[in-house]
Amino acid sequence: MDLDLLQGTLDLLILKTLTWGPMHGYAVARWIGDTTDDDLQIEEGALYTALHRMEKRGWIDSEWGLSENNRKAKYYELTAAGRKQLRSQTDVFTRYARAVFKVLQVA
Amino acid sequence: MLPRGIRRFFRIELDPRRVTRAIDDELRFHFDMSVRHYMSRGMSEADAQREAERRFGNVERTRSRLESIDRSRAEHVRRVEWWGGLLQDLRYALRGLRAAPSFTLVVILALALGIGANATMFGIIDRLLLRPPPFLADASHTNLVYLGRRFDGVESLSPNISYTRYVELTKYTTSFSETAAFFSFDLAVGTGEETAERRVGLVSASFWHLFDAPPALGRYFGPSEDHTPEGATVAVLGYSYWQTRYGGRADVLGKSISLGRRTYTIVGVAPRGFVGLDPIGAVAFVPITTGVVDIFGGGLADVSKWYTTHNMSWMEMFVRRKPGVSPEAAGADLTNAYRRSYLAQEKHAPIDIARPRAVVGSVLRERGPNQGTNSKVATWLVGVSLIVLIIACANVANLLLARAFRRRREIAVRVALGVSRGRLLVQLLTESMVLALLGAAAGLVVAQWGGTILRTAMLPDVEWPSLLADSRMLIFTGVAALGVGVLTGLAPALLARRTDVSAALKAGAREGTYHHSKTRTALLVIQGALSVLLLVGTGLFVRSLRQVHALDFGYDTPHILYVSIEMRGLKVDSLAGVALHRDLVERARSIPGVQDASLTVAVPFWMSWSNDLFTQARDSIHGDYLFNTVSPSYFATMGTRIVRGRGFTEADRDGAPPVLVISQSMARKLFPKTDALGQCIRVGADTVPCSTVIGVSADIVDRNLTDPPGLEYYAPAAQHGDGANGLFVRTRGDASEMTATVRRELQRVMPGVSYVVVTPLEKILEPNVRPWRLGATMFALFGGLALLLAAVGLYSVIAYNVTQRSHELGVRIALGAQGRDVLRLVVGSGLRIAVAGVAIGGGIALVAGRFIAPLLYRVSPKDPLIYVVAAVTLLGVAVLASLVPAMRATRVDPNVALRAD
Repeated sequence: MDLDLLQGTLDLLILKTLTWGPMHGYAVARWIGDTTDDDLQIEEGALYTALHRMEKRGWIDSEWGLSENNRKAKYYELTAAGRKQLRSQTDVFTRYARAVFKVLQVA
Repeated sequence: MLPRGIRRFFRIELDPRRVTRAIDDELRFHFDMSVRHYMSRGMSEADAQREAERRFGNVERTRSRLESIDRSRAEHVRRVEWWGGLLQDLRYALRGLRAAPSFTLVVILALALGIGANATMFGIIDRLLLRPPPFLADASHTNLVYLGRRFDGVESLSPNISYTRYVELTKYTTSFSETAAFFSFDLAVGTGEETAERRVGLVSASFWHLFDAPPALGRYFGPSEDHTPEGATVAVLGYSYWQTRYGGRADVLGKSISLGRRTYTIVGVAPRGFVGLDPIGAVAFVPITTGVVDIFGGGLADVSKWYTTHNMSWMEMFVRRKPGVSPEAAGADLTNAYRRSYLAQEKHAPIDIARPRAVVGSVLRERGPNQGTNSKVATWLVGVSLIVLIIACANVANLLLARAFRRRREIAVRVALGVSRGRLLVQLLTESMVLALLGAAAGLVVAQWGGTILRTAMLPDVEWPSLLADSRMLIFTGVAALGVGVLTGLAPALLARRTDVSAALKAGAREGTYHHSKTRTALLVIQGALSVLLLVGTGLFVRSLRQVHALDFGYDTPHILYVSIEMRGLKVDSLAGVALHRDLVERARSIPGVQDASLTVAVPFWMSWSNDLFTQARDSIHGDYLFNTVSPSYFATMGTRIVRGRGFTEADRDGAPPVLVISQSMARKLFPKTDALGQCIRVGADTVPCSTVIGVSADIVDRNLTDPPGLEYYAPAAQHGDGANGLFVRTRGDASEMTATVRRELQRVMPGVSYVVVTPLEKILEPNVRPWRLGATMFALFGGLALLLAAVGLYSVIAYNVTQRSHELGVRIALGAQGRDVLRLVVGSGLRIAVAGVAIGGGIALVAGRFIAPLLYRVSPKDPLIYVVAAVTLLGVAVLASLVPAMRATRVDPNVALRAD
């Protein structure tokens, strides 16, 4: 699917993914890919941009740690602000999706 | 997941170079993992690499985006941390200061006095020498014009210029985009009882173009109202007069106001704070060609003279240079114009002898070629106040040092716990900075309230706005506080850097400290030396002032009022004039509390008259012989002694043989070999009848205090057409208390719009005594301050040393030292510091004295008595300051002292 993902949607997906615990960027990409069976085909560069931007906004925090195969990796973790953001954005997105669906069903 | 606490050590992206490296690391990890993932699905390494890149998108673009995001984040974090650190240091410093309230109070007080003194002096210097007049447009291109001419080979530069010259210089020059003429004068303002002499500004219409100040109300006058032979009677009110006299009402426009001899129509109001170039705000501004008639009208035989002659130099000229014209070029242009104008004038000395020259100077008069005594004294006082500030700083540095010594174990512990030295330094500086800022805030209060005395003493007629609303003052004080903070914080900070952690931790309270106080001793010696310097200065000015007061002026200043008679254009014939003068003298004598009164023409320091003299001994006598025509009661009124012969009597009337009284100096000068009594002097021309010298009077001081007394001669007013324009009134008590009464009583005699102005002679003399009074007061004030600070500093250091040496003193006492020995030991250490201070300070004073000599009055800058007094004062203070801790030292209990630690 060559979907031009809305910025907010990508942020939402990342925040949701991080609720499962701290992850490095690659793991986030894998997780989203696996969960959606690669339907979304997210450009991974955009994913990293989103991660760094959200870190700057204070939604997520980062620290260096060791990966499963003992390599230095940058881990991202949700902050309290991030959780709050996730909750409100989920509401917005659900309402939005529902509205779009309504229109599609009428047609 | 990693434990939360160690995050800080890993957050290394704050460095811009590290930001790039961190992104590289992160992306490399991503690609390694991706490639491995695709290879595990059976792709070849090359395919896996391609797939990973395809999935990622544009790597370079992403990398640069990440970099810019992370950079701005790092910047933000750094800022937050910096402020956080500062806040922490601030809190730490405040906590430390709160824990030592007496220390904090002493420091703030010392700094408040030092900074307050400097803020006050800055305010004065700013007004005199730095700040351009309010509203002046393009101040850097605006100048006053000074004209120079040589007499007897000596050039005198003066800002005074005639109207004719002003017009010609304007016409002949090309350097200026605007030229204007102005003059300030005290004129009678108002009518009836409210009539008073007030400052009126006479300005040309072009004057307003040099300011960027739209009128608060109405309009300014233009060229059509300012022209020869006489301009229009229109006036622009000063803002504060408009407020106080007219309540700021808009309907003043079109109303009339009495200025001088005439009535003017109010056409506008100048904006708030507008004073032109005169620091004293005028109540009104009028066209210069109109106002001139009110000033000279009665005195000029030919009314048109003021704009036809070159010789009446009364007003001033100021100019705005065109862009790109340097002051030198403007001066050269003006000089050419001046020479041309000079050659055209009716009567002049040869141009090669007079060498006329013009220069442009600052719009601030005190910065021009003719600097006044006030600004010279002020400049000195700036130096003095700086010395006070240095002493205060040395003192505070000393106290901070003592504090740092006391805290060195705490500091060592902090260093041992890993606080970086840099941070420690910042913390110590924060403390001194906080103290400096608190001191500056208190200093502003000192400057606001305490400085009022000084400001009114130096510039009595200038209105001062609140210092706290003055941004220049606030900036100055802020900068001074920063400087003080760094200066005082430096010593303890350097000490902290030297602190040897292990030694400080191991040592007891008594070790590793005593030898450190070398710095502190040096600071004390500096304080002592500067105190001596100021004490010597105080001595020199106090003695000058005493010399001034001891000076025999030749008249009884405190008991004399001068009454000037202002006819305000009222014409009375000579008979009526004589009658009026007689009535005034009679009425004055009848006032209770008045002892005597006399007519006069001359007033010391204000007005003098001269006339040609002829004697048989010499054909014509040149020189400054000053003439006065007076009532018979003159000498009794003034308290001027008749040394030989007699004074005037009622018998010396018109028609009686003409008589003269001459001063001692004049008698010596004119008749060096013979007795002056009975000599013949002809006054005015060599054809008039002889006036016989019937008496010799004591010399009087009449022009300035530094020159030899003037050569005075007196004649009865009755024999010289009674040209009197004023009276001297002698009171029994303090003359200034009688001012209002005398004015009220004499005003009743005055006909019509004419009136009298009563001024105590003391007030007339005051500006001439002021520089010394000011110098004496200020040096005494600052010197006392310096001494107090030095005493506090000495006391604190010696007291501190005593506690530090209690172990040693205990040993001495245990070994049999008497209280007297301990006393001598401690007081001796204080005295040694004071002696060093006296030696150094005395040396500096001897050198500096040469420069201050011109400001002194009949006192040698090397007067040994003053040096002795200054030295003894400092030594006495040193003994007193060390006596208290010394007494404590004698009470040291060896048992306690030896067991401690």
